[in-house]
Amino acid sequence: MAGRSTLYLREPAWRVSAKLALRSLRLNVRRTILTAAAMILGGGLLIFGFSLTDGGQEMWIREAARMGTGHIVVERPEFRTAPRIENRLPREVHDVVTRALAAPAVASRVMAASARLSVSGLASSTAGARPVRITAVVPEAEAGLSTLDTKVVSGRYLGPDDDARAVIGERLAASLRLEPGSKFVVQSEDATGEIASQLLRVAGIFRSGVSEVDQTTVQVPLRTADSWLGAGNGVTNVNVVLLHSSMVPETVDALEEALAANILEGDVAVLDWKMANPALASAIALDDFSGSIVRVLLFAIIAFGIMNTVLMSVLHRHREFGILQAIGMSPGQTGVIVLIEGMVLTFLSGFIGVGLGSFLTWYFFGDGLDFSGAMDEMTFSGILLEPIIVPEFRLGRYLQALGFILVVGTISSIYPAVRAANIDVTEVLKFDR
Amino acid sequence: MAATTSWIRVGWRNIGRNPRRTALTSGGLAVGYFAVVFMTGWTGGINEELIENATSLVGGQIEIHDGEYLPDRSLYDTIGGRDGVDVDALLAAVDSDPGVAASAPRVFAGGLVSSGESTSAVVLLGVDVARETRVSRFLKRLKDGRTPVQGASEFVLGAETARQLAVETGDEVVLVAPGADGSLANGLYTLAGVFETGLTELDNGLAVMPITDLQEFIVLPENRIHEIAVAALKPAEADATATRLEAMLVEFATGIDAAPWTELHPAVVDYVGLSESVHWIILAIVFTIAVFGVANTMLLATFERRREFAVMLALGAPPLAIAGAVVTEALAIGVVSLAAGALFTYPLMIWWHIAPPDLSWLYGSTTLAGVLITPSLRIAYDVSTWFSATAVLLLTTVLAALYPALRAAMISPADTLSGL
Repeated sequence: MAGRSTLYLREPAWRVSAKLALRSLRLNVRRTILTAAAMILGGGLLIFGFSLTDGGQEMWIREAARMGTGHIVVERPEFRTAPRIENRLPREVHDVVTRALAAPAVASRVMAASARLSVSGLASSTAGARPVRITAVVPEAEAGLSTLDTKVVSGRYLGPDDDARAVIGERLAASLRLEPGSKFVVQSEDATGEIASQLLRVAGIFRSGVSEVDQTTVQVPLRTADSWLGAGNGVTNVNVVLLHSSMVPETVDALEEALAANILEGDVAVLDWKMANPALASAIALDDFSGSIVRVLLFAIIAFGIMNTVLMSVLHRHREFGILQAIGMSPGQTGVIVLIEGMVLTFLSGFIGVGLGSFLTWYFFGDGLDFSGAMDEMTFSGILLEPIIVPEFRLGRYLQALGFILVVGTISSIYPAVRAANIDVTEVLKFDR
Repeated sequence: MAATTSWIRVGWRNIGRNPRRTALTSGGLAVGYFAVVFMTGWTGGINEELIENATSLVGGQIEIHDGEYLPDRSLYDTIGGRDGVDVDALLAAVDSDPGVAASAPRVFAGGLVSSGESTSAVVLLGVDVARETRVSRFLKRLKDGRTPVQGASEFVLGAETARQLAVETGDEVVLVAPGADGSLANGLYTLAGVFETGLTELDNGLAVMPITDLQEFIVLPENRIHEIAVAALKPAEADATATRLEAMLVEFATGIDAAPWTELHPAVVDYVGLSESVHWIILAIVFTIAVFGVANTMLLATFERRREFAVMLALGAPPLAIAGAVVTEALAIGVVSLAAGALFTYPLMIWWHIAPPDLSWLYGSTTLAGVLITPSLRIAYDVSTWFSATAVLLLTTVLAALYPALRAAMISPADTLSGL
């Protein structure tokens, strides 16, 4: 120990440092409160933002899944780029999928599954002709998966015994001047590649709020499509909606395992919603990205505040640190005092902030934060956004928030700690100011 | 007066007393300033792109139809009803409006495109290519080939439909469409080119050909068109221009409707309004957090100088002047922060405005309210936010200094000086 004596303590050095740090926080109540207030506000906002973003995105994904392709879709690899009848799922693959979905491990996560035959075609009435997307479904299964049946504004949804009936979008109905009971003709390529026509009667008209969907959707019973297109009971996709989007990866894995042989032969692909709906994945990535930028900027501001406070407390205590070092505390131990002070302060206040933020968010907005006054029907990536966002609290987010706060607190205490460690003992003790 | 300025000078000079503290406080405020200007600039950029894509990708800033045409888009609801109008005169009249930059006539029909092995249903759009490219962007830069020539049985197709039909530029395909006379028209057409907008609705399901060719194909007389798309000189004035056009067009035919983009895309208008109201929330949150930093600094600064203030008070300085000096000091920190913030904020804003960074590594194209958004960090100059952020920053520093200033002014000289 060249030039310095070692302080002989009855307690371990770190405990002395910690005691000194905590005492300093206690003695400077006002400074502690001001710094803590910024961190509490930051932590609260962080968890408020996380819970609303997560809740909003989950709702968004669920809405997309129920209006479109489900959380998971099983289809031929070619179907994504060529959504035509020739790219039907082989019968045996469909059977494997049905069995895999019924397996207890998977079935417990599945909310609903529906097999569909989806083709494009032309719908025409005496008023004109429109390109449409025709989806043939088993009405009972589809009603469990899709929310379309709840969006019927006139007439009714398809029933189990319906044949040659269709449910169509509101805008399509207006374009073709159709109402429940009206007849119209759809044309599409059949299983042999010929153009086949089918006369349909409108059972009901729905309104999803997404103009593209309302403009192009025709839903018919699978049995009608079978006789019309000669699909031989075949379907193009099996769509699955799960209880929560967080269950997607494990369910995809389970389905891929069950279908391993068929996937290898290139007969089938299991897609999650991100692959099936890249526009939605993009929209969520954009949402996440802007959220992260806000968080980083917010905490950069807070970090400046903390660094400032801790540094000032160091500059004020030059003599104190000088004396500590003079009686044998090492520079490292002096630095540790400052570091502990900063970390304890930020972590405790961050913890309080996160707790308070969760409580207030849950208390005031637990039933949902209503944006309906600010917007009517807003679609993002072709999905109608529900105007009420129910916050979702995830354990991972708490760990993320507390980790983030601790990192910011530690980083902004490092420089002050280094300064406290490197004071010139003789210089700071020279004058009795 | 001289006394006041001297207190201001005391306040100003004090920010140099502890440069490190000033730098850290200003740093926090400068980042706050950047945060506000950047976030509002970015949302503004998204809004700009939304409006641009809603109004010039295919749709015009103003669309003129027969009053009955929307939303059914019936083949028979042409401008001027079944008798049609003098299209050239109508276009000349529209062009003569001072708010109009360009106009283009359009005819719509539904049909099927068949490549032999597969068939796709499409919307057939008839355009005057020369006029159309002045109103909308989608035909300006084709992915492949060229725009169709009138009378040559040519058309262009969206990239996604072309891919699904497995057709390339130069291939011949069959078009089928119900005609206005009740017949089913069909003909052999050559694919002259392929366009790609990034918007699925267009890339998948739109076929475009010269307007007279389409009219001939679906047996619609040349004086019957469905729509005139108008590019306004300034999108913000589209509402007024539309009202003017509607009044003027009465002389051509009854029941003509001129709808500005704000009416055609109400969700975009909603979104823009919503995101602008969010600006104020961002501003409030950022500076609420910043207030703590400034208050902390000023409180420390006044605390360490209480002997100095006590001496001043003992010598007869009015308490208000002491408070003024503290507030001035805070304001000076605000000015330094502004300068520091502006120093890195504006060059970045200008850079990103001129050359928006590409974000496609992070996310792909998506749509908002049915309008395309591309992955780029586009920044809009939002001068009013720059000013309000400046004002709020200075206000923040003053507000944060009020309590420390009050404490400084209320120091008891005798007690403070006796505590030596």
